[in-house]
Amino acid sequence: MKTLVIIPCYNESENIEALIGNLSKYGYDYLIINDCSKDNTKEILRKNDFSHLDLPINLGLAGVTRVGIKYAADHDYDCVMCIDGDGQHPPKYISTLIDAIEEGNDYVVGSRFVDEKKPWSMRMLGSRLLCLCIKLKTGKTISDPTSGMRALGKKVIQDFADSMNFYAEPDALCYLLHKGYQVKEVQVEMKEREAGESYFANPFKSIYFMMATLLSIIFIR
Amino acid sequence: MSISLRIGLLLASLMVFILIIVTVIKKRLNIKYSIVWLLWALLALFMAIYPTSFYFLASVLGIELPVNAVFLVMIGLLYALTFYVYCMISKHNEEIISLTYEISALKKELEDLKKKHNEK
Repeated sequence: MKTLVIIPCYNESENIEALIGNLSKYGYDYLIINDCSKDNTKEILRKNDFSHLDLPINLGLAGVTRVGIKYAADHDYDCVMCIDGDGQHPPKYISTLIDAIEEGNDYVVGSRFVDEKKPWSMRMLGSRLLCLCIKLKTGKTISDPTSGMRALGKKVIQDFADSMNFYAEPDALCYLLHKGYQVKEVQVEMKEREAGESYFANPFKSIYFMMATLLSIIFIR
Repeated sequence: MSISLRIGLLLASLMVFILIIVTVIKKRLNIKYSIVWLLWALLALFMAIYPTSFYFLASVLGIELPVNAVFLVMIGLLYALTFYVYCMISKHNEEIISLTYEISALKKELEDLKKKHNEK
């Protein structure tokens, strides 16, 4: 199965070398997408000769993922694997997700909470709320709706490459469940990010994200 | 509707007309989009010349002051225009993503070719 690992990357100069070093042991095709980083990510990518796309403008995470999926669609990949550029998704779990795609699933999510219990933190409260909404809307139980580690099968790649409203992970999940795609969750572990700053460090952005996602799940999907 | 409001509307619509035409001539506005604004100015002109039509509208809607009917219509039009602009933004957003993808993909291909060329 021809698989492409896409790695959105914004100001990740401290993490990216370690991540690719780790990833290259497994021998997957990968594509780093540099979302117009302000630090020296671009130079690091060039110096190490990593396979990468260098975006001329900043598109944000959703836009970057779309670009990666378009690339995979153009180059006829059967499977796309999304992982974060900050090293919080260990590459050793990639094969688990790809195996699940090979079994005939269309969309596989690496979930932290298939077998483990979900802790009661502020962030997980948001996660629970999203789970509840997805359950009410589609009747399916999803344990980790915000997980960014996911694998997409061929049909989903085509679908996402042309779809305007590819917003965020929970939203995409709801859309796919609604359309009757085979969605599966597999247990993975995630690390805390190694260095740099997360998008969700800003509380206003988190609140905006939650609102937009909930509205989209409730009214549109 | 008072005579001063009518004169005001008349002047405003004339000014909008001139502004639109000057902007189009200076090539800062696409003719395609200027049509909407020209229609807007025409409506203001119509209101200034035939205010009685708004008396009718106001009585149908149960609005006491006809001038409020004028505001209602104007606000409605502004909403329509803003909505149209938002639709355009969404479309442009989509086009920007496609273009960004194409540019970055071409850049990558070019660099790969250069590398191959240098190795030879």
